[in-house]
Amino acid sequence: MTEQRKIRVLIAKPGLDGHERGARVIAYGLRDAGFEVIYTGLRQTPDQIAAAAVQEDVDVVGLSILSGAHLTLTRKVLDKLAEQNAGDILVLVGGIVPEADIPALSGMGVSGVFTSGTPVSKVAEFIRSTLANKAA
Amino acid sequence: MSGDDRKDQGSGSFLAGVERARSAWDESVLKKAVAKCNLPESPTRHYTPLDWDQSNYLEKVGFPGQYPFTAGNTPVEFWKAHARLAALAGYRPDWGGRGVGRYGGFGAPEDYRDYLIRMHGQNRKGGPNMAFDLATQCGYDPDAPEAAGEVGRVGVSVSSLRDFEIIYEPYRGDQELTQIGSNFTINAPCCVIIAMYCALAEQRGIPPAALRGTPQNDILKEFIARGTYIFPPAESLRLFRDTLGFLRKTMPKLNVCSIGGYHIREAGATPVQDLAYSLSFARAYLAAGLETGLPVDDFAPMFTFNAFGGSMKIYEEIAMQRAARRMYARMLKEDFGAKSARSMLIRQITTVHVGCSSTTLQRPLNNLARAVMGGMAAGMSGGVPAAYPAFDEPLGLGHSLEAQQLQMDATRILLSETGITDVCDPWAGSYFMESLTDEMEAAAAAEMAKIEGMGGAVAAVESGYLSRAVAKSAYEKQKRVEAGEDLVVGVNCYVSPLEMTVEVNRQVEATYDPALMATAEERRIKAMADLKRERNTKAVAKALSDLALTCRDPERNVMPEVLAAVKAYATLQEICDVMREVFGVFAPAKL
Repeated sequence: MTEQRKIRVLIAKPGLDGHERGARVIAYGLRDAGFEVIYTGLRQTPDQIAAAAVQEDVDVVGLSILSGAHLTLTRKVLDKLAEQNAGDILVLVGGIVPEADIPALSGMGVSGVFTSGTPVSKVAEFIRSTLANKAA
Repeated sequence: MSGDDRKDQGSGSFLAGVERARSAWDESVLKKAVAKCNLPESPTRHYTPLDWDQSNYLEKVGFPGQYPFTAGNTPVEFWKAHARLAALAGYRPDWGGRGVGRYGGFGAPEDYRDYLIRMHGQNRKGGPNMAFDLATQCGYDPDAPEAAGEVGRVGVSVSSLRDFEIIYEPYRGDQELTQIGSNFTINAPCCVIIAMYCALAEQRGIPPAALRGTPQNDILKEFIARGTYIFPPAESLRLFRDTLGFLRKTMPKLNVCSIGGYHIREAGATPVQDLAYSLSFARAYLAAGLETGLPVDDFAPMFTFNAFGGSMKIYEEIAMQRAARRMYARMLKEDFGAKSARSMLIRQITTVHVGCSSTTLQRPLNNLARAVMGGMAAGMSGGVPAAYPAFDEPLGLGHSLEAQQLQMDATRILLSETGITDVCDPWAGSYFMESLTDEMEAAAAAEMAKIEGMGGAVAAVESGYLSRAVAKSAYEKQKRVEAGEDLVVGVNCYVSPLEMTVEVNRQVEATYDPALMATAEERRIKAMADLKRERNTKAVAKALSDLALTCRDPERNVMPEVLAAVKAYATLQEICDVMREVFGVFAPAKL
């Protein structure tokens, strides 16, 4: 795939959880891997995240959640994206997600869930291949 | 030994002899060993008297319980003094009797209250060690749109004095407020929580001066780790000053703060950054304390710390603890003119630990081995040899009973069977450890000087310097792990299909009833509506406008007006909103 433009990724922290080590490491890592990365900073509402995703015309939204509120928050962000006709944006979730919750997230429409210990390179690879498959 | 003898011992012909022998060893042993293994350089290092000048022993190390406290806060820690008795009596440290109970909190105030009652029924007593939900920590009431989905989730939801009245219902009789301690893990709205505790005591006819406890009250680290800030750093520091002044005058048995190097480390800081930033924050807090007009020896003894550190590099961690004790004592004595030894101590629950960020989700039982290494290093650096955290830490909120038992037993084994804590500062005088301690101190001092050069901790937070530096360190660490430079067992090495994930039963105590969690938000929103209907609206409005006036005058202490507002049942958010209006809110610098 010859890239017309860099893949654009929005890394977002929904809710009030302030643990942003993972979000920042992913943001730096994806940037170094050649992606265009926008980091929202802390305390974003699902509305703000969906609006930023549309405004920045991103291909991917990565949600970082460590507060245990991943099911509700992810559902809300997906709904807001759908409302904005941006349901085709790839949504990924990272953070502390118990294995038992992963099927529920996938069922909602999350493309990938990345828990602690995942190399950034693996996330980058996942994004490239998933988008390439989608385009094909 | 006279001064001259000391000099002779560490210099002259002795050192020259060591140097000659060391060069000979280099040629005849080291180089051969390295060549034999086909390595460009040696992966190990050996230290000799050439690496540390022991004539500095008294100045740099000294004795436990004496300035500069490198060798420890005291030669006999309380837990050590009674370790045998505690072991024979089967004492469980997880719930304090007259002290503070286990860290926790969830749901609505009545949910947490009922939980505490249940625990008391099992003889798990001790004051509440409160975790607040994120809405409370960020200054939002449960009915705010920002609070949606967060109410009662990672802690208990508290927004008015009424909530404290409910939580503390079980604390009567032999568990009266005078008999317990309370811990509050709260930072940005700390002044409101302190006022609630004060108002609650007054309601019961108890002098606030009889209350004991510890508010976290360490707002500066929130800007670079943990993230529950509200107001800009300078205004936040003013609130710290005001709480300090109020506590010393009205509730003098409460500690002023619990300064956390640990959180900064979890956010990705290196040991040197952790040390430098925590001490820079402590410096800012001490300076703010002086602004109240109180002498440093009045308030510094009431500062506590929350376990610096958190990595698997236990040599570095031990050196860091030693350097921290020395640097803090020096800073208090030389820069702040402290006279009392207690002012100079880093009081913390333990010393070294590996931290939560060293644990792995992969093959999680291995985290027990990791925690034991931290406990061992704690025991070797003046702390309770506490294995921390529980092995299932990375699996989500709520440790299993099995993990807690293993963690407690590991600590007991270190304490009772190994003799690890029989020697104070066993590394004292080690050429290696002393030189590493010196290196750590020099590097942290240089970083602190850099921060001072920027205008101090507040300026370094405002510019985003500290936050970026920590994020960069976190990223560097991640890159080293991905490149296989830093090895993590089960993550980037020993990951073949031949390896096996050892599983143990995990029984997570049903403390946090999911049904209650699910309805907490709804019940809290209703409780807010009830409160707002029942209270005297005029009194609230008056208290809040008085508060606004006080906030506008930086010379004044906000606490009397915060207390008046709390007593009128103004909510946490209403009080924070007044401050948001006057102080503004913090906008983080770009990544």
